[in-house]
Amino acid sequence: MQAIAQEEGVVDGPEQAWLRRVADGDRAAFEQLYQATAARLLGVCLRVLPDRAEAEDVLQDVYVAVWRKAPQFSPEKSSAMTWLAAIARHRAIDRLRATPALASRQTIELAELESDPEATPGARAEADSERSQLDRCLGQLDARRRTLIRTAFFEGATYEDLAQRTGSPLGSIKSWIRRGLLQLRACLES
Amino acid sequence: MNTPRDPSPDDNGALPPSDDVRAAEYVAGLLNTEERHKAQVRIARDRPFAQRVDDWERRFAPWLVQAPPEQPSPHVWPRIRSRLGWDAAQPVPRTLWDNARFWRGMAGLAAAAGLAAVAVLVARTPAPVPPVAEEQAAKPVTVLAREGGATGWIARIDATQGKVLMVPVPTPADPSGRVHELWIIPAGGAPQSLGFLSNEKAHTIEVPPALRAIVASGATLAVTLEEQAGIPHRAPNGPVVASGNIQSI
Repeated sequence: MQAIAQEEGVVDGPEQAWLRRVADGDRAAFEQLYQATAARLLGVCLRVLPDRAEAEDVLQDVYVAVWRKAPQFSPEKSSAMTWLAAIARHRAIDRLRATPALASRQTIELAELESDPEATPGARAEADSERSQLDRCLGQLDARRRTLIRTAFFEGATYEDLAQRTGSPLGSIKSWIRRGLLQLRACLES
Repeated sequence: MNTPRDPSPDDNGALPPSDDVRAAEYVAGLLNTEERHKAQVRIARDRPFAQRVDDWERRFAPWLVQAPPEQPSPHVWPRIRSRLGWDAAQPVPRTLWDNARFWRGMAGLAAAAGLAAVAVLVARTPAPVPPVAEEQAAKPVTVLAREGGATGWIARIDATQGKVLMVPVPTPADPSGRVHELWIIPAGGAPQSLGFLSNEKAHTIEVPPALRAIVASGATLAVTLEEQAGIPHRAPNGPVVASGNIQSI
């Protein structure tokens, strides 16, 4: 379980202590947590929901959920930042599903495989070691699977969206992605 | 339950979505509205499945924190406060009641002066929790004492509504991350969890209907330190930090 240890090392900040105090109903800690993490969580929401007004609206849902769910956070399972970002991302995806007009319709060229513009963004330096592991494993997938998995993750695109946007049969898309996910898991746990 | 929901004729070679693949699909954001909803219901009810989801969240964690930060508009924070039922017009929460340091400072004083100090403090505490001041004035309370006799919490039991208002003498959080759990122990019976208990804030605990009958005179309220995960636990595991016998309600 090397991945877990690395991931926890990555984002072990004051967020965890704040979250614990938030779980006890500490409003001052909640405000500190908000001030320290809101920009990062809005970034997470904007990835899935490029409409800023929608993303900021979702961000409110996110922090209301964080206040209520803080007692469920357990540091043994994930780092505080991962836990927070996962809440933000899933709330954003929920909003995307509820508002289909917001989903990207941009065509995906599966033929144009090697240029994946999002593969190397300048991101938080602390995430480097773990990111390289995930990206290294992703790099072992064929480019088609890699593109599909990245698009799903960063845009919250469904199988159906991906089939439409690539012009590929739904069954093939599912097959490629599922195999890709299993390969990814095997690589990350090797 | 591992059969594909939507087996397509052209799905040649597609692996059936095992629980693990389903969890991955959920985390990756691939599921449509209906599938996603089903997965969310499962996460809430099916622990092994929820664990798989957690594992995938961890695998994808590096991508999660990759998004470039973007400062939210100033209106977002007041709206969050307002949605939580707090005063939206007061952007910086710095009331006495909200100030954990103040409470921690008071803990020593209260411990020294005993219950009287706490009662005065509670009565003087302004607006945020009026029920404390109003209801405690004329009704019996149960004191949960720590080892050594210092007051840990004061309980005000409303048997008719099945509610227990717990007022702590605030203490620092457990350094190892455990949290407080409240138990009701009927005379001669086994402890039953009443759930999470704050060490900093007064809050009302709803007694589950099945336990209401045993929250009665003669029973004991006890507080233990427990792991956060799994609250309410079936039985206490950690040390007892405070307890008190219910004399009258």
